[in-house]
Amino acid sequence: MSSERTLTVARAGREAVMWEMQNDPSVFMLGEDVFAFGGVFGTADGLGEMFGPDRILDTPISETGFIGLATGAAMAGMRPIVELAFVDFIGVCYNAIVNLAAKHYYLSNGQVKVPMVLMLGSGGGYNNGAQHSQSLLASLAHMPGSVVVTPSNAYDAKGLMHSAIRSDDFVIYSGQKKVAGVGMLGTPIKTSMSVVPDEPYTIPFGVANIVQEGTDLTMVGVSWTVHQCIEAAERLQSEHNISVEIIDPRTVVPLDRDAIFDSVKKTGKLLVADEDYQSFGFTGEVIASVVERDPSVLSCAPVRVANPDLNIPYSRPMELRVLPTADRIVEESKKMLGL
Amino acid sequence: MVEVVIPNDMWEEDLEGVIVTWIYKTGATVSEGDVLCEVMVEKSQSDLLAPATGILTIIEDAEAVVKRGQVIGRIE
Repeated sequence: MSSERTLTVARAGREAVMWEMQNDPSVFMLGEDVFAFGGVFGTADGLGEMFGPDRILDTPISETGFIGLATGAAMAGMRPIVELAFVDFIGVCYNAIVNLAAKHYYLSNGQVKVPMVLMLGSGGGYNNGAQHSQSLLASLAHMPGSVVVTPSNAYDAKGLMHSAIRSDDFVIYSGQKKVAGVGMLGTPIKTSMSVVPDEPYTIPFGVANIVQEGTDLTMVGVSWTVHQCIEAAERLQSEHNISVEIIDPRTVVPLDRDAIFDSVKKTGKLLVADEDYQSFGFTGEVIASVVERDPSVLSCAPVRVANPDLNIPYSRPMELRVLPTADRIVEESKKMLGL
Repeated sequence: MVEVVIPNDMWEEDLEGVIVTWIYKTGATVSEGDVLCEVMVEKSQSDLLAPATGILTIIEDAEAVVKRGQVIGRIE
């Protein structure tokens, strides 16, 4: 019997895909470079060899076609996992997502289900320029008809992938590329790696994880920004004795608004960190879900740390000024706390 | 004692690789065939499997630059 394993997000998610494919013949995967290359960010590493080209399908660069194909296959009873390695290119297949995958269940009065998983690679932090670094989370979460999953660590990545594949809903599984733990993007983020059991398990949608409990300030992050919050919280604790509570919603649709509200009720202060463009985004949505319920729980104005509505620069120092890094979170927290 | 070695056929040319991450810690019990660590060379990542069953000792940590044939750990 081997000891416990500490896995990367990519490996843990892949393990769930592998198990589901071994146990359910209706599950298959398609996307660019998934068969021969194993997925640009390691999402399908080894799966081609294991399941062959009939169940791991390499597609041409024609997202409208193959996401439409996956939607049709799901409507016909299959459980496709379709990969779009860079969410930046969602524009070319947005119609297939918004008007097909996310609508058929509603338009058919519940008679047609679309049990499909759309895996997306999102986010920056590794100098890939304005067209390969976006989050676009709000553009996914804004439309009705889909679940949006945003794992931040390996344990959640595996459990949420099992849930996503088994779900009869259309699930968008949005993975931040730096969180995946793929070597070509640098050393995996330590807090993104976790001990992962061998056996399959599920994590319910809409249940937040309280990463750490605290009393002075609530931070809410998504995927990569959860790790920026963890780093910021460590510094605020050691340098200023500030106790931070960190909430990871794990799925942004459905969003665990109760967990966020309960935390802010306790701490009185809210900071939301997100990599997407700030205006009309996740940060404002989280703040609204507290303020709409009871603004009196806040002892000061809530704070958003997001991309300040700028195209993402290629230059490293410039990109770091735009991203919601731990430095920016610490800086904004100190202003908020009058430090 | 069995050495954990970067196989000579892990990559073709005489390039340097890097250990991305270890899945087990020093002192862990591992079984032959378990994936021990991920190694990357030229943006391509490979799994290194345990050559034996036993207790693992890591010699080269994550982020270490490694060459083919290099001993990176041992199993006793």
